[in-house]
Amino acid sequence: MTNDTVTLDQLTGWLTRFRDLVTDQVSYLTELDSAIGDADHGSNMTRGMGAVIEKLQASPATAVDELFKGVGMTLVTSVGGASGPLYGTFFLRIGTEAGPVATLDAPGLAAALRAGLGGVVARGKAEAGDKTMFDVLAPALDAFDAALVVSSDISSAARAAHTAAQSGRDATEPLLARKGRASYLGERSIGHIDPGAASTALLFQALSEILDGE
Amino acid sequence: MIGIVVVSHSPKLARAAVELALEMVGVAGPAIAIAAGAGEGVTGTDAFKVAEAIAEVSSPEGVLVMMDLGSAVMSAEMALEFLEDPDIPVRLSSAPFVEGLMAAVVRAAGGATLAEVEREARGALGAKQSHLGDEDPAGLTVDTGPAAEHTIEVTLLNPDGLHARPVSMLITALSTLEATVTVANLRTGQAPVPANSPTALLTVGARKGDTISVAAAGRQAVEALEAVSDLVGKGFGELGTVPARAPEPSPAQPQARPASGALSSGPLSSGPLSSGPLGVSPGLAVGPIVRMPEPLDEPGPVAELPVSEREAAADRIVAASASVALTLREKAARVSGAARGILDATALMAEDPGLIDAAVSRVTGQGDVPERAVWAAVGEVAAVFTQQGGLLAARIPDLNDVRNRIVSELLGRPAPGLPDRSEPYVLVARDLAPADTALIDPAVCRAIVTVEGGPTSHTAILARALGLPAVVAVRDALDLPEGSVVIVDGTTGEIVVDPTDDQMVRAEEQIGRVATFDGTGQTRDGHRVQLLANVASPDSVAEAIEAKAEGVGLFRTEFCFLDHAEAPGLDEQVAAYRQVFAAFPGRKVTIRTLDAGADKPLAFVTAADEVNPALGIRGYRTAWRRPELLDTQLQAIATAAAAEDAVVGVMAPMIATVDEAVDFAARCAAHGLHNVGVMIETPAAAITAGPILERVDFASLGTNDLAQYTMAADRLMGELALLNDPWQPAVLRMIREACQAGLAAEKPVGVCGEAAADPMLAAILVGLGATSLSMSPRALGGVAELLGAVTVDQCRDAAVAAADAGSTGAARSAAAALLEPARA
Repeated sequence: MTNDTVTLDQLTGWLTRFRDLVTDQVSYLTELDSAIGDADHGSNMTRGMGAVIEKLQASPATAVDELFKGVGMTLVTSVGGASGPLYGTFFLRIGTEAGPVATLDAPGLAAALRAGLGGVVARGKAEAGDKTMFDVLAPALDAFDAALVVSSDISSAARAAHTAAQSGRDATEPLLARKGRASYLGERSIGHIDPGAASTALLFQALSEILDGE
Repeated sequence: MIGIVVVSHSPKLARAAVELALEMVGVAGPAIAIAAGAGEGVTGTDAFKVAEAIAEVSSPEGVLVMMDLGSAVMSAEMALEFLEDPDIPVRLSSAPFVEGLMAAVVRAAGGATLAEVEREARGALGAKQSHLGDEDPAGLTVDTGPAAEHTIEVTLLNPDGLHARPVSMLITALSTLEATVTVANLRTGQAPVPANSPTALLTVGARKGDTISVAAAGRQAVEALEAVSDLVGKGFGELGTVPARAPEPSPAQPQARPASGALSSGPLSSGPLSSGPLGVSPGLAVGPIVRMPEPLDEPGPVAELPVSEREAAADRIVAASASVALTLREKAARVSGAARGILDATALMAEDPGLIDAAVSRVTGQGDVPERAVWAAVGEVAAVFTQQGGLLAARIPDLNDVRNRIVSELLGRPAPGLPDRSEPYVLVARDLAPADTALIDPAVCRAIVTVEGGPTSHTAILARALGLPAVVAVRDALDLPEGSVVIVDGTTGEIVVDPTDDQMVRAEEQIGRVATFDGTGQTRDGHRVQLLANVASPDSVAEAIEAKAEGVGLFRTEFCFLDHAEAPGLDEQVAAYRQVFAAFPGRKVTIRTLDAGADKPLAFVTAADEVNPALGIRGYRTAWRRPELLDTQLQAIATAAAAEDAVVGVMAPMIATVDEAVDFAARCAAHGLHNVGVMIETPAAAITAGPILERVDFASLGTNDLAQYTMAADRLMGELALLNDPWQPAVLRMIREACQAGLAAEKPVGVCGEAAADPMLAAILVGLGATSLSMSPRALGGVAELLGAVTVDQCRDAAVAAADAGSTGAARSAAAALLEPARA
């Protein structure tokens, strides 16, 4: 299945799919977080995305910016941990960048995601190799952009992003955490996948799957 | 009273911390709102809750937000984006949660401003640290950024340590790198300061020999540390060419001399050291006095700014700082050399984030008007500088200059500075800021007279660079009426007010006369004295030839070694030496082997930790440690000499014993060098010149060091300038000792120090028996002229009188009396 644009429905579907994935993997995420954090990432993300989808079902968004701003706001108030402001800012910036439109074309989506990444960087001040969600977001978006150079098909770009996200996630395992609560563990943070990186990989898995019509 | 918001993951923790803090103040405490938990018993934080809490306690005085960790920080930051009233100043505090909250509540209850409460909270860890013995005396510790990822320790090599110029080089080098860098002085143990703030860096008080710890975080942390290490390793380019304290000053940079004449402070022989007018830049000038405009007054107190206007007012400070910096940079772009560096450094200071943030927080926190805020913020830094004294205190005029510029900009007044004149004048000022001095146009400003300042002040350095006569420390200079004509003698420090016609005619004659040298040095009665040039690198050869020097009496080789981590190779040295030898075919070129140490440290031969480097491993003594360096150099000299036609002599610096002279001669012979000499710079060498000259072919007197060691007076200390005077009879007797030994042994003894460049002293040296005089090329004309006007007997009589005199003043007067008639 190829896509030159994504619709509001597809984007809502993406978020729903993301909710499903974090819910399915709640114990995996929590397990990762129990190794190097406070063991709440799974439940925080499940609760946050649960609240997001609940609200969307009650009052569906009518434009892309409205969709993502609503998501961001909800995550900020319902996640609790650091993922709240980080994912919250990510989606808020996506919404602001996308504007009041009903669909996004490939460059539009790429720009929106890039703005989201900018928000995460501004909020978390993370850099490559700090063992954070940045280590997944940044390579995934690079892969996304690179794929779009060859073809305007968003589906294949999302697949490329998903692959890069998985590699990025796995690559956090040997890193020494330099941000967030895991950084208090110092050397002991080595040898564990970062939970935020893992949930971010799920975000790209969700995008790829929804665009492939799965 | 300010409001306080407490952000925590845990409502329980927040409540307990607030309870604890309120115990200190009871009901009189500030409004406190808690934003803790993410609802329904979830541990975490919620940016909206934080925003609501801020709104709840908001007051025009502002809100301080205390946070625990992780998401609390991010939620609080995010909350700032959701605030409804953007005029309420809100600050997020990096203070420790419990201690900071307690300190903040107590201070807020006392009615302190937001900035004060915030500072207090941030310092709240101090009590615990001090109790447990890991105290961080964090007077100036501000925002040192994220935890450092990389740290290095480096030892400062340059003479003045981290003073203004190195600081601005450091900041400039780091400005393009993505790294947060801090610097701490391990000697003082003071807390690290941010490396983007010139004022903070200056308070590090790092001197030569101090080891500083430099920490960097961020993407280019490693590059940042490399840049720092590189600058420090090269001594910030100040090794060997010390602008503020030239070790062997050219005639343009004489040692300060005591003054005589109209404004002098009394008899030269008995006056307190450096208390009277000091000539710090030689030359004679005549002109009407123009005073610098009166300095800016401290802006008076006015009503507190309403909260709604504070943000705009704060923005004006930022804009004014940027505008001042821009103006200074534009001015810097129009000048070159030392002036440019100083203007650039001043521009950096005008934008110092430490200063500007402090001023801004006075506006936003307590409603100061911008000009008062800037004045007070600079005042605080100046107080720290004053406390630390020394070189740091010497930077206070720079700080005040920056303050005046920013305040003038804020008040819409023209920037303070030099009078705008097109007719020649003599500038009189209390003190000159470097930025002013840098803009002086020597075509109209003919001389500088200041009430304050010393021989190493900016005024002195820049006046010498511009070739302008300058007299400093003229206490009553401001009493001189504007417009009255003065004759300023920057050599003697003499200032003649309302000169007679006769004095005017003589002064103008003297100014108008350009002395030249015809290439043969001799007295009026034909006594030959070779007049040679000092050459510091192949670049200065052209000037020597232009001035018709008879040859080179001192070819310094340090240029070859400076800025090198290791000694240069044989080929590099041969090529460099050949350039100089080639310029003087058939003429004398006396080359001196490496003279490192003391004020000319070189990383690979001198230890940085000598307690007393002037009395340490320096000069020829460095060959004890690295004999192979000397052998390579001698081989290079021999090779270069063989390839060219110059009459090459080679001499060793800082010889103190006959054995050293013997050793040096043997090493030279091993390389086929046969015209071998030594420098006489120590009293030891001067009084054993006889036996030394039995073993070598010639000697050359270094009068700067000879004066320093004879008088036991550090020549880098401005305060000792009167002792470090080659006119000191003791120094003249040392010189005589060496010259007489030369005459007895029938071997040449020349002078290649500063003294040879002073015409009258040159005549004395000839009278004492010097066979050649070597000096900076531009001094040749003046020296040749005076020598050509006197007889050798006059020189001898004057020399006897000067050496037998009881003081420098008496020595000069006696010499002048015996030499003057012949000149007239």
